[in-house]
Amino acid sequence: MYKWLHLSSIAELDELKKHISPEFAPEAVAKKLADGLSDAVKAVLIESDYVDKDYRSTYYNFYAKKGLHYRADCIRLHFFDETISFDDKSLRLSCSDATDVLTHHYFGYMVLRPTGLATIGRSVLSPHVRRGACKYIVTASHKVHLLGHTLTIQGFPAMEQHIDISVCAHSACWSILRHYSERHSTYREFLTHDITMMAQEFNPGGLIPSRGLGLSHAERIFQEAGTFPVIVARDYADPDDVSFYRQLAAYVDSGFPLFAAMHNKGHAMDVVGYDWRQPLNTGVPGLRYSWDEIESLAVVDDNHLPYLPIPARGGSYSAEDIDAFIVALPEKVFYPADAVDELAPTLFKLGTVIGLPPNDQTIIRYFITTASAFRRFVRRHESEFDHNLVKTIMTLPFAQFLWIVEFSTESQWGAYQVAARAVIDATASLLEPNPLWLFHGTTEALIFTREMVSADPNSGVGLLSMSGTGHTAFTRMDENLRQL
Amino acid sequence: MAKKEPAILDQLEGLTPVDPDSLKEFNREMSERVVPKIRQIVERRRMLAAESRQRKLETQNGAEKKPGD
Repeated sequence: MYKWLHLSSIAELDELKKHISPEFAPEAVAKKLADGLSDAVKAVLIESDYVDKDYRSTYYNFYAKKGLHYRADCIRLHFFDETISFDDKSLRLSCSDATDVLTHHYFGYMVLRPTGLATIGRSVLSPHVRRGACKYIVTASHKVHLLGHTLTIQGFPAMEQHIDISVCAHSACWSILRHYSERHSTYREFLTHDITMMAQEFNPGGLIPSRGLGLSHAERIFQEAGTFPVIVARDYADPDDVSFYRQLAAYVDSGFPLFAAMHNKGHAMDVVGYDWRQPLNTGVPGLRYSWDEIESLAVVDDNHLPYLPIPARGGSYSAEDIDAFIVALPEKVFYPADAVDELAPTLFKLGTVIGLPPNDQTIIRYFITTASAFRRFVRRHESEFDHNLVKTIMTLPFAQFLWIVEFSTESQWGAYQVAARAVIDATASLLEPNPLWLFHGTTEALIFTREMVSADPNSGVGLLSMSGTGHTAFTRMDENLRQL
Repeated sequence: MAKKEPAILDQLEGLTPVDPDSLKEFNREMSERVVPKIRQIVERRRMLAAESRQRKLETQNGAEKKPGD
């Protein structure tokens, strides 16, 4: 049932083939792992006869109906660091320091399906052991039950497509929905076969699901799952459609994994993180956006181990291949990124009131957060804020979701700081002439109560003059993604 | 019956009235340029999304070569 494999180096994963039968394709799995995992992984526990709910969903509905006999059970690989040992007589896992916690030395798991081809099933790996992983990753906490222990792993779910009954787009949808069900209690869990069926209005039977999946099918899957998907497609009439990429960056920065389509390559994957480029002191005037500062995106592509870094620009496989994406939003985000993208530079019209840097020396970053996360952030950095501004932020009757727009100079950006921050109502109507709730710099803040519908744009507005903080900038709000 | 006066402003400490002139340019820009532009942009994106829905995405299966392989 359990076999411990100690690794002096990651190349020794090749030993897997000695312990795992060929129907799990151990050589292909070992190669993929060796190509992507770091040397921090020092041991693998091979758990046989594992009942995997996702594989079983496809087994009961597909593999069991075939003439060729497929096994019903799977293998699960668990990855550990060098401090963990295993006693195969007592089946006991232990840390070298008895007071330490096992879960701190656990790097996640990978299920292997007995299907011969594309055998990597449900997997949650720590981005810490992914070679070259981006610094910011969307993760959730996943529970793992092993040998009487309850371990947790922070990661993003991934699996290879089944090829015959599910394709890469199904895998991409499954990963996002499994992340949602683990991250947010409002979403239920969907198994692999559920996802395949959700793409269609009726059960098409047989292998039909694998013969083509469009963006509309993926959209349907997210709708069926109770999310509110928004498709954003690149404008081919505008070869520089930078707004498309700014929106992509904004939604990922908001903590939403994106279903990304590459129609010209017939492929789909998830965007789950990013890495900033090294801060540059260009001194070149011009308004920039956070997208301009992104060097690479982290993607979950079923051809690779999760968290594959791809360049934002250039190369044979980059963000430039993405021509549409779906963001599966919660219900109450009515104000789209398009609108924020247009509104954000207009806020310079209030620059003299707030004390914004000149617009040709500014980097704009915008993203969604919740009112509670914003208040938590302000509370944690309370010393940076005027006490009346803190009280205002705690008092304003924010909607659940907010758009935050941050303004930084080049030097502030390099120091993870912002000069000013605007808070926009994410439930605002597109036609509202003022969706702002708050706009503050270091010395002044404009407060908009949004307490009643009024034709007078000056009603419900107040000015807060601040003093005494002694700060020339605020900490940038990096709360939505996990920082490695 | 309409609400008389926003109460939240009264609850917050340190607030002073805003000089309407300081908001004038922003309000005009929003009403006359930004909101109509947002409307137009969102409509254009909806059209692009509709076109995108018609395109077939998956043309290969996993046994074939994929980007990045």
